[in-house]
Formats: sequence, C-alpha cells, structure tokens
Amino acid sequence: MTRRVLVIVGICVAVLLGVTVGTHRALAHKERHTPEQLKIFDEVFLEQVRIGDLLFHGDGETEKKMGVSLSKTGMACAMCHPFASDTHPYEFPKFQEQIEKFGTLRDMINWCIEKPQEGVRIDADSDAMKALEAYVYWANRGSRLDPGRH
Amino acid sequence: MDSLERERRELNTMLRRPGERPDSSVRIDRRTFIHKSILCGTAAGAASFGWFPLLNTLDVAYGAETFKFAWISDNHLYPKDVNTRFVEKAVRAVEEVQAMTPPADFLIHGGDIAQLGDPVEIALGSDILKEAKIRKVFIPGEHDWYLDMGATWRKHFGDPNWTFDHKGVRFIGLDTVSRAPDYWSARKMSPKERMGAMATLDGSIGGPWAGVGSDQLQWLNHTLSSWPKDRPVIVFSHNPLYEYYPPWNFWVRDWREVQEILRPYTNVTNVHGHTHQVLYNEIGKMRSIGMLATSWPWPYAPEGVPDLTKCMVRADPGDYFDGMGWARLTVTAAERVQNEYMMFGRKPQNVFGEALADSGCADNVNQELHPRIADRGWYSKD
Ligand SMILES: [Fe+2]
Ligand SMILES: [Fe+2]
Repeated sequence: MTRRVLVIVGICVAVLLGVTVGTHRALAHKERHTPEQLKIFDEVFLEQVRIGDLLFHGDGETEKKMGVSLSKTGMACAMCHPFASDTHPYEFPKFQEQIEKFGTLRDMINWCIEKPQEGVRIDADSDAMKALEAYVYWANRGSRLDPGRH
Repeated sequence: MDSLERERRELNTMLRRPGERPDSSVRIDRRTFIHKSILCGTAAGAASFGWFPLLNTLDVAYGAETFKFAWISDNHLYPKDVNTRFVEKAVRAVEEVQAMTPPADFLIHGGDIAQLGDPVEIALGSDILKEAKIRKVFIPGEHDWYLDMGATWRKHFGDPNWTFDHKGVRFIGLDTVSRAPDYWSARKMSPKERMGAMATLDGSIGGPWAGVGSDQLQWLNHTLSSWPKDRPVIVFSHNPLYEYYPPWNFWVRDWREVQEILRPYTNVTNVHGHTHQVLYNEIGKMRSIGMLATSWPWPYAPEGVPDLTKCMVRADPGDYFDGMGWARLTVTAAERVQNEYMMFGRKPQNVFGEALADSGCADNVNQELHPRIADRGWYSKD
C-alpha cells in the first residue's frame, strides 16, 4: 500500500469510529498513549483470557460465578484441544461441516458445548463467550489468518 | 521453547547417528510403503527418513510361531452416571477384542483406565475388562494413580511393572507414571487437587512427571541382561520412551538412560499409550508405535510429528466413536510384527489422512500455539 492510500484508509477509519462510537469517547487516540494506559488495556484483555482459560479447562467455580453450565459429561474443551490446539480460530468464518452452515468461531464453541459436552449453549454475546473467544485467540496468536479454510 | 528445541537436537545427535537404524533383520514391509512426499505434496523431509509403514509392519526375528495380542488403553472412565459414552466405547473395544478369531494370546491394558483415579472409575474399568476372557496384563496411566498414589490400581491390577517371555519374545511392562517429582506437598494440595493437576494434559503444575526412574532403570537393565541382544523385545509403556512433546508429557524425562540401556538390543519395539493418536517413530534401534484411545483423540503436538509418522485422519467430533479404538498386533512365524489400528467404524484405509484436508497434521500448517496462562503461579488456598 502506498503512503497516500494509508492516509486515506486512516481518515476513513477515524470517521467511522467517530460516527459509531459517538462523541463521549472521541478522545481515544487523540493523545499519545502512556505506558500506564497500555498496561491497563493489556490487563483488561489478559483477565478475559484467564477467565476463558479456566472455562476452557472446565473450572466449575468459574462456571458457577458466570452462571453457565458448559458440560454435563465431564468433558472440557481442553480435553480435545490442549493449548487450544485444533480450534483454528484463524479459519473462521467458514462453512462449518458439523452445523452445515457458514458460521463463526462462536457458533462452533456452542456446538462443542451442546454436542460432545452436552452442556447448555451460551449467548453469542455473553461474557462467557467473549472470555472463551479471548483465550482461544490468545493461545493461537501468531497463527496465519486463513479464513474459509476447511 | 528453547529447552524443548535443545532437547530435540540432543535426541537427534545422540540417537540418530548416520546408519543408526533398527537391525536390518527388522525390515519394514515394502509392500506397505507410501512416500511421505506424495502425501504432503513436497519432497522436503523425505531425505533422512523417507519411507514409513502404513500398518507399522515390521519384522521380528526368531518369532517361533504366529500369535496375536491386543492393546486397549486410555478409556478415561468417569462414574457411569456422569458419562455413558466413555463406558460404551470401552465396552465396544473389549467386545471386539473378545470376538477375535483366533483369540489373542493376551490383552495388554496400557493405562488411563480411569479419568480421576476414583475407585468407582477403576472398579468400573476392571468390570468392563472382565468381559475379555483371555489373559490380561496391565500398566498404569497417570489418571489412574494420583488420587491415592496407585493404591486402588494396585489392588485391582497388581504390580505396575513386570516381564514375561512368550513364544520367543521378551515382553516388558514399564511404569512411566508413578515417579512424578513431588509438586503437591509444598503447595499443600489435597489428593483431589493433586489428581486434578495431573489430569490436565496441558497444565504446567504436574511438571515433567513422566519417567522411568533410576530404580526401575536398574530393574530394566537387569531384566534384559539375560536376553540375547538380537532377539525380539517388546516394551509396553504408558508414555513414549523418547522425546516427542515434553509439555504434554509425550516423553519420559529420562529417555537418555532408557535408550542407553536399550541400545545394545537390535530388535526392540515400544508400544505406548497416552498420546491418543496414530504415531510411529524409530529412535536408535528402537521402533515406537503409539496407540489409539477409546475416549478421545489428542491433537498432534504443535511442533509437528516424527518424520516417520503417517498421520491419522481428522476425527469427526460429531461421532463420539470416531478417531478412537484399539489395536491388534500380530507376531508372525515369518518373523514379523504387524500393528493394525482398529479404529471404530472405519475401514483400515480410512485410518490415515491421505489428502491434506483430511490429515490430522496437515490441518495445522497455519497454527502457532502458546502455553496457558491460568495455571501459572498456583498457590495454596490457606
Ligand atoms: Fe490418556
Ligand atoms: Fe495418560
């Protein structure tokens, strides 16, 4: 990409953010980030990763705290996916054979909860789902994006 | 993972010296060869270990007569009321072994009969195995051991290591699970917590728990000393006897010492559980074959598989029998040992992943993985 294209893309993104996020958060990116700020962003993210890691590994206490019931069979996600292996978050969205439709990682997480684990599916936008997603992406960081790959 | 890389390099320099292969009398059956470069669409990696067996067919010298034995492991049974699927699959494997004609000479159970070492789980497994009326021998898995440090397992199955000679082959059962460095005392863990840490494959709390131990190494050395160096030895162990992927204990931490003891013997086959996958390797003069689980398949190690492994097919997670099973091993009078993966509901030709989209390893070409975060800094609650 040329420098000029980058500038144009940057302006477009800024305009979009301004429109969708509204004026009360308009200060984001107006000033240089302080190390403290960046640390806070990181901590917020890693806390979700940690919660997701616990849910992924079948931690009963965390499930209870979040009001979810992910498994009735004793199975946890990590049993078939140690280190979140073979979850392939970088391949979504794609046609997902098991659910016979074009789907997202969140769809597949719910499929695993309902089928192998015989648990209760969770809302696609719930805190538990976001935490699970955070852990799966974090554990797979550095993988090569390849959406649509089967 | 620097230490992993170091370990792997050491294994290669120590045990993969030029010309260091299993005895030439232990030949891979040429009819079953398929070239890995054909499978993966690349000629790379085929240079040093270009050929590998389809059915892990290998020759064993001095086999006096044909006989078969069967392997079942990694049932990971919960109590019946928690999970009936695991029970169904263990029962199916045992029924299939019992139905073998002619019958197997014996059944080896390779460990992880229970999920959380619960006496109810071990008793359930023991009951299920009673349906196989042939001779049975047992080695433990980590899931069987760390609730009561093997007390219940021993009560049902006896000593965790043993040896016997059968039709010209020396069989050895090793216990690779019971000698974990103590990770629980300092952390004041309860037996349940200790077992929980051990039952988490990708957890770091249990550390490098898989090992043979100096006392058992001595025993192994002694056991082998009366056996001619060129006669067949088959060693059963829960964990692989080489370094495959230490973070998941797909190894024994004292593999150097084990290989040192085995080195003079030119005809050694190791059959192991724990990895829940199709796996094949040759280390020094030893062949190593990984067995299927009946419970669930583990993914292949993030750093890749041994060059000689022909990867299993991607299992269908919607079919709770798929990707799992047991194994039928034949020692033939024509001096050959064959391993057949008996994958539930699959024809033999569909056990291995031929096309890229069907292979359990090729599937992960874009994948980079990182260890966990939530089990770092485990501390005692009091
Ligand atoms: Fe296992
Ligand atoms: Fe195991």
